[in-house]
Amino acid sequence: MATSSNRSNLKPRFSWFTDRRLANLFIFPTLIILFFVTLYPLIWSLIVSFADWSVIKNAGEAREYIGVENYSELLGSKKAWERFVVTGKIVGASVLIELVLGFGIAMLLNRKFRGRSVMMTLMLIPMMLSPVVVALFWRFMMQGNGVLNYYIHEVMGLEPVLWLASRAIIPWSVVLVDVWMWTPFMMLICLAGLSAIPQYLYEAADVDRASGWFRFRHITLPMVMPVVLIGVIFRIMDAYKMIDIIFVLVGDKGGAGRAAQTAALYVYDVAFKSFDTGLGSAYGYIMLIFIIALATLLIRAINSTKGE
Amino acid sequence: MATVQLRNIEKQFAPDAIAVKDLDLDIADGEFLVLLGPSGCGKTTTLRMIAGLETQTQGDIHIGNRLVNGLPAGERDIAFVFQFYALYPHLSVKDNVSFPLRAQNISKSEVDSRVQDVAKRLRIEHLLKKKPNRLPGGEQQRVALARAMIRQPQVFLMDEPLTNLDAELRADMRAELKHLQHELGTTMVYVTHDQIEAMSMSHRIAVMNEGVLQQVDTPLNIYNKPQTLFVATFIGSPPMNIIECALVTEDSNSYLKSDNLNYKLPNTIDSTSQQVYFGIRAEDLSVASDSTADIKGDVILREPLGDETLYRIDIGSQILNIKTSPKVRLTIGDTIGLNINATNIHLFDKESERSLLH
Amino acid sequence: MNNNLSLLQRLGFWLVLSLVFIISMFPLFWILTSSFKTRADVISTTPTYIPFVQYQPTLDNYKSIFISPIGDAAQSTASQNISVFRNKLLNSVIITALSTLLAVLIGTLTAYAISRYNIIAKDDLMFFILSTRMLPPIVVLIPIFVLFSNLGLKNSYLGLSLLYISMNLPFVVWIMKGFFDEIPVEYEEAAMIDGYSRLQAIYKIVIPEALPAMAATAVFSMIISWNEFVFANFLNRDAASTVPPFLNSIIGVGAVEWSRLAAASVIFVLPIVIFTFLVRNHLLRGVTFGAVRR
Repeated sequence: MATSSNRSNLKPRFSWFTDRRLANLFIFPTLIILFFVTLYPLIWSLIVSFADWSVIKNAGEAREYIGVENYSELLGSKKAWERFVVTGKIVGASVLIELVLGFGIAMLLNRKFRGRSVMMTLMLIPMMLSPVVVALFWRFMMQGNGVLNYYIHEVMGLEPVLWLASRAIIPWSVVLVDVWMWTPFMMLICLAGLSAIPQYLYEAADVDRASGWFRFRHITLPMVMPVVLIGVIFRIMDAYKMIDIIFVLVGDKGGAGRAAQTAALYVYDVAFKSFDTGLGSAYGYIMLIFIIALATLLIRAINSTKGE
Repeated sequence: MATVQLRNIEKQFAPDAIAVKDLDLDIADGEFLVLLGPSGCGKTTTLRMIAGLETQTQGDIHIGNRLVNGLPAGERDIAFVFQFYALYPHLSVKDNVSFPLRAQNISKSEVDSRVQDVAKRLRIEHLLKKKPNRLPGGEQQRVALARAMIRQPQVFLMDEPLTNLDAELRADMRAELKHLQHELGTTMVYVTHDQIEAMSMSHRIAVMNEGVLQQVDTPLNIYNKPQTLFVATFIGSPPMNIIECALVTEDSNSYLKSDNLNYKLPNTIDSTSQQVYFGIRAEDLSVASDSTADIKGDVILREPLGDETLYRIDIGSQILNIKTSPKVRLTIGDTIGLNINATNIHLFDKESERSLLH
Repeated sequence: MNNNLSLLQRLGFWLVLSLVFIISMFPLFWILTSSFKTRADVISTTPTYIPFVQYQPTLDNYKSIFISPIGDAAQSTASQNISVFRNKLLNSVIITALSTLLAVLIGTLTAYAISRYNIIAKDDLMFFILSTRMLPPIVVLIPIFVLFSNLGLKNSYLGLSLLYISMNLPFVVWIMKGFFDEIPVEYEEAAMIDGYSRLQAIYKIVIPEALPAMAATAVFSMIISWNEFVFANFLNRDAASTVPPFLNSIIGVGAVEWSRLAAASVIFVLPIVIFTFLVRNHLLRGVTFGAVRR
């Protein structure tokens, strides 16, 4: 009986490119780049976050490790927590408004009418633009004597709004810009969810003479929910790390009285303005842990709605 | 043209997922062999191992006189037709058909003439310039066959190629495939779960179940002399009636006994088996005209099929299928007697489920 | 949705839709018209909308941003008459092209391998790749700043491109894996049975099949690279810097020439608008990393 030992006499063509080698060859470049740009910096950051060290002031010096002192300083600092409150306010308000508006517009657009495709594509443009340009547009329109105040003051007869100067209003200006830019994203997601609902469910509801509210509450909402939650996660992650809109709209300190200084901007301030690299890294890590925890919770929420 | 030999083939995907167990199979030169079985029985895996798309965990595969273990698919000189045809949507029908030849150094004129030959044979000449995904299923099927034939391979391997066609087209393609294979004389290994395809096209059928080869035989032998309980019940429609009984020997005669059966076998069985499965096909049960019936039961369902009529008979412990001529008219609720055609009975050992007769 | 609406409902529908559309489009309209206005028209307290009637449109803004610098004079000293904006635009084009090309190439191959081969911990690998995209850039900015300083990658095309490749890779891998999963394996198996090697099968069958998907993915990568601000702002100054930080830098100094800034923005944004129309059918998949498909 022939045994499998004479397998080795057979040499396939391109023998060097075994599937295993090819797979590795294809995957490694990506992993190397991602390691170089993400994993390595993260490890570096983690180490530095335990040191009292500045990349500018202490350049070339050995790092002085101070244990968890950076972390305890931050956790005990009111200022550091306030940044999270500001972040939560801006992220929460933006995403909530985007969700409501996006869903509403999606309901509006979820029917056939002339010019739907062109109109939709035009409405999606804001989210494709550079946040810098978006913030620039709005900064232009939000000037004291800009076009927004023209409508508010001259047309509607109200007091002009100090969009970019009032401490109380600045966070909402940021929210407004974020909403303008990202509502199309939510709309797109909701529209995908809506159009995936099979028509026969509505037909069955019609046969059962269900009310419009019943249809919405028991067919539309539960069917769209899983997809919408994915959209919400994406938006929260993005809004959480966003700094460019604020940066351009009201400056790198978050405007008057740091009204819109989010956690991300605070890291920037500590690390790049005060050059306290160790403290900045520690704060970055707190940000990271916070968002990982939040993402995990949200993903669980998604999975539980899927499981129903 | 070549033989295909499988020796002690085993395929294990994961520690607890054995797809094929200790398979031995000899396929003759020019033979049309069908691998038949339910989904997940290992037939497709076996075909893919012959093709070189999967590597067996153990055992040897010979194509012709060549040991092909570890040889890549492209060097085995085989052609494979996939269930979904795998026609390249971005290439025209002509480019699809000539694709295998362009892997070799074959002159353009030779390629063209061979494409013409194959296209003519499969009647797809008028489609050569079209893109395949615009074609109806039957024509896509022909293109896929053309692509397989153009290489003039040693062996054709086909993985349920007719599954995606509608019933009428499938019948046509069955006849055409059989004819083509006969004409070309190329060895064919054909996987299907459809017993009609297997019965109508093949020289021999290899029935598999749960990774184990059950029986390799001609279609008629598979039908008439099933060697395992699985083959007996898998082949035939309606499936063979199976009655669990005791095998008893009294006065050098063998009897099958159960609650509602006491049947004297025509020949004495010399077997240690005491518990057996007694198998009888629907057409081998006939309505008894007198009181000498072997089994009694109530008619519970009638299914007229035109050329014949199926009845379901409740015999108390279970329900039997019988097939009669349409002239026999039974009324639902009637109690009738059934006679067993003694020449066509099957017996299987309860433990091993292997035949005691064939 | 029920299309049998009464006249009143229809009227309401169009009214609300028009309102939403006008509000969402207004900023775009405003910046576009501003770019054709003179300096005086732009700062006029009463807004003007209709060209030729309310204001006289001019192309001066567009001409001038390519000839003389926008913003304060200090920036222009080194650049005798050669526009700073033109240089920034060129930098943006080079870095975007380089990063897109490499990201799509590398990412596509990775996606292919992950889609086709038995890779240990495949799901974890995919999740790791995605998670790098979720990282707040500010967190890795500090170490990257230091790393790039040490390696001399600051103020270079290569450094920023490398960062953009890493930003685009998760995206490319996720989207392309989704596409490869949908291309039947039988295509390659058929080719390999016909005597082609795996590499040939990829080159002759898989790549042509995946080309439309790769093109759409490339467009999304371009948009990501083109728009990026945070890394560009901190890593590339001077000669190698791109348009977004440049636009930001202008408004920090003195009185802003909004009309010319608007013209620069329009030029910067125009390719994105065109791209958006090109990939409009892939937008959903694109913006959700293939998590939502239709």
